[in-house]
Parts: sequence; C-alpha cells; structure tokens
Amino acid sequence: MGQLILVAEDQQHIRNLIEYKLKNSGYDVVAVEDGAAALEKARELSPALIMLDIMMPLMTGFEVLASLKNDPHTKAIPVLLVTAQSKEHEVLRGLELGAEDYITKPFSPNELAARVKKVLLKHTAT
Amino acid sequence: MSLTFLIILALTAAITFLVVMAAVSLVIHKNAVARRQRIQRRLTEEYAVALTEMLMTELPSLPATAPSSARFRQYESLLEPIKKQLQSLSRRRRRIHRTALLEVMLDYAQDLTGEAADRVVYAAYSLDYVQELIAELKSRQWYSRAQAARDLGVIGAKRAIGGLTAALEDDHPDVRFQAIQALIVLVGADALRTIFRVGGRLSTWNMMGLSVIVLRFKEDVVPHLIEGLYAADQSFVLFCIEMLAEIGFVSAVEPLRRIATDYPNVVVRAKAIEALGRLGDERAEPLLLKNASNPYPVMRLRALQALRKVGSPAALPVLEERLREGPLEEKIAAARAMARTGLEGWTVLERMRKEEGTLAAAAAVQVLEELSIGGSA
Repeated sequence: MGQLILVAEDQQHIRNLIEYKLKNSGYDVVAVEDGAAALEKARELSPALIMLDIMMPLMTGFEVLASLKNDPHTKAIPVLLVTAQSKEHEVLRGLELGAEDYITKPFSPNELAARVKKVLLKHTAT
Repeated sequence: MSLTFLIILALTAAITFLVVMAAVSLVIHKNAVARRQRIQRRLTEEYAVALTEMLMTELPSLPATAPSSARFRQYESLLEPIKKQLQSLSRRRRRIHRTALLEVMLDYAQDLTGEAADRVVYAAYSLDYVQELIAELKSRQWYSRAQAARDLGVIGAKRAIGGLTAALEDDHPDVRFQAIQALIVLVGADALRTIFRVGGRLSTWNMMGLSVIVLRFKEDVVPHLIEGLYAADQSFVLFCIEMLAEIGFVSAVEPLRRIATDYPNVVVRAKAIEALGRLGDERAEPLLLKNASNPYPVMRLRALQALRKVGSPAALPVLEERLREGPLEEKIAAARAMARTGLEGWTVLERMRKEEGTLAAAAAVQVLEELSIGGSA
C-alpha cells in the first residue's frame, strides 16, 4: 500500500488528473472538492501529504492551511499548494502559513508527481 | 344577458387561457433547460474522465530521432475510443457531446503544460475543433467570433494565426481584443508587431486589458512599442506612448521626441511630451522648452508639467515667462517646474510672491506652500 495523499481541488478535471497521476505513481489518493471537506478528511485520515488548491468553496486553501497548522494532530503534515500563475503574493502567504512547497497552474503532471515525491522524501528524512 | 356582459366574459376566458398557456410554456421551458444542463454536466464529467485517461496514459518511449509523426500516431491511438464513441452518435447528439468535450479540453489546455498539453493540442486538431473554430471566426454573431478567437488561443492552435490576424480587423472590439490575446499566447511579444500594424481601434477597457499583458513582457516589448508609434490606428499610437512611459526604457526617448515633433495630431504630440516628462531623461529638455511656447495650450501645459521632471536652471527664463503670461494652470505648472530646479528657481519664486495681487504671485505662493517653505519665509 502506498502513502496516502489528500487532494483538495474544486475543479473536477484537475482533481481527476491529479488523482490519476498520483495513483499511477503508486500513492493512495483521497480527493475532495472543497476546503471544509479537506479539513475534515485531514483530521480523520492523517495523510502523508495534502495538496491544497487555494481558491476553493466553503473554505479557501489559506483557511484550511491555517487550521491544519494550528491543530497539533495535523500540524506536521506537509502541504503542497496549487496556485494560479503570476500570483506571487498567494505563494508568499502560503509559505508563511507553513506550506512546504507550491506548484503553479498551468503545470506539467510529471512535474507535479516529482514535487510530491520530493516533499515526501524530505519529510520522511526529517 | 347583455352583449357587453358576453364580451367581458369572452375576454376574461381568453385572458385566463393565455395566462395558463404562458405558465405551462414557462414550466416546460424551465424543465427543458434544467434537463439540458443536467445532460451537459453529466457529459462534461464523462469526458473529463475519458480525457484524463487519454492525457495520463503512459506511452512507450520513442527514440530521440523518431519523427513527430510517430508520436502523433501514439496520440491517435489514445484518441480512438473517444472518436469511436462520437461516431456512434446521431448528428444532434454528437453536437452536444462535442460541446461538452471541447469544454473539458479548454479546461485542460488552460491548466496544463508539458507533454500533457501537447496531447490536448493534438486532440483539438485531430477532432477537427481547430478547423471548426477557425470557421467560427467568420460567424455572423460577434460573440461566437470572440469565443472562437479566445478558444483558439487557449488551445494553442498555431494553424489559426492567419484567421486570428484577419480577426484583428473585425468590426467588433471584443473580437479584436480576443484575437490580440490569442495571438500573444500563440506567438509571444512578437505578435505585437502585427497587432500594431493592422489592429483596428480598441475600446478603453480593452486597452487596459492589453496593457496588463504588455507590461508582463517588460523590456522585451520596447522595440515593438517603438515600432507601434507608427501604427495605422491612432489609439495604438497613444497606447504605445503610454506603455513606453510606463516601462521607462531609455531607448524610447528619441522615438518619442520624433513623435512629439512630427506627428500630425496634437493630442498624440501632447501625449508624447507627457511621456518624455515621465521618462525623466534630460535630453528631452530642449524640446520641452521649445514646446512651452507652443501655440496649442495642451502642448504648452504638458511641456511645463514635463519640465517639472527634467528641467534645469537653463529653463528658468522660459518658465518665468509662462508664470507671468500664461493662464492659471500654466502658471502653477511653471512654478512647480521652477521649484524643481533648486535654489535658483526658489529665488525666482520668492521674488514673484512679493508681486502681491497678481495671479503669478498666487501661483508662486501655492507652490512654495506645497514645498513647505512658504510658511517660514
């Protein structure tokens, strides 16, 4: 069984694609479509990594990230942000809130898988 | 029963019938729309899954020397299931399915790069979307033409460059703007050369949108903007002047000086004068001094305002003349430009403020107060 990754992304096509790519790369994936569900699943499943889109309904990626980092049970889970290109302030805010890394849309699925692998390796090593 | 009563009764019945019919039609229409939306949503979901598979399926690697046609054959094999499904449908249903599929493809085209994005582009060509959208650029409805231009840019259909270039001269500004955006996506900053040469007039709103795109290229775009100073459409000339001032590149000074001197339209010349001030390059000073006495009020005012950025003590005689002789706006602009020259300018302003009861003195007092030195004097 592979490591569990939680994917929170409101756009269905992107959610499908990330899920497909990560499953093919050997991970177990749980995908949700809004921020509130992401927070609930993160607390319930304690995944190895969370991929968080910033613009989501109910709770934004920033709100989810802040809640995760304030909760002792989820604080240590690395978070990879998915953000729109040319929104530098979003990236900076996410990193300040405790995100491990980020990927900007448009992205290459292969690059995404590589980033996930890198974050997980780094996290396992520490 | 009187005849009047019968007429009223008939009319009431007719109105009631019409109201009931209208309500029934409304309900039927609403249901039909909801049903269409449900079908569209379901199809979009189905094609999102099918396309994800097409984009993510691992393909056997090809030797580096393999022609691109070998890669395309691989992509074609991935598209087979989708093509077969579409072929099995009636014409009407196929159209609905193709609309849903295009929607998903556009979503993917916007969010993906790399080899996955290449597959989306290939699919768009192979499924004839590119051809259809190019044809749609000639639709009778402007919104269909604008949508087609936008979609061709999103998909990255280089074959559409010719059609999009023609769309730069479309009657509708939104079509022209979508064509501009698409061409910039497909060709990059170099597209601006063509856009400035043949583009038709854009609305102010669209110009604002274009400025955001142009500023992203920074210095790379300067040669194109300089070339754009000679665009056929005057709105593009004004746009290029504004962008050159905004980017602030020193190589723009000479071309702007030429425009400020030679351009036939005074509004454009005044805009170039303003831009020279914003660039703050001292080489512009002689031209600005000359234009401080231009017969056109707008030229004089812009020149005086620009001298506030580049004026030296050598400008003082001209500035003093405008402070004494010009209308109030020019007096204030001249006084501000004087203050910029330092001690010599301030001395002149101090002298002028003593000429009480004149507008020149009032302008000098205002500017000295702006500089927070008037109160203590």
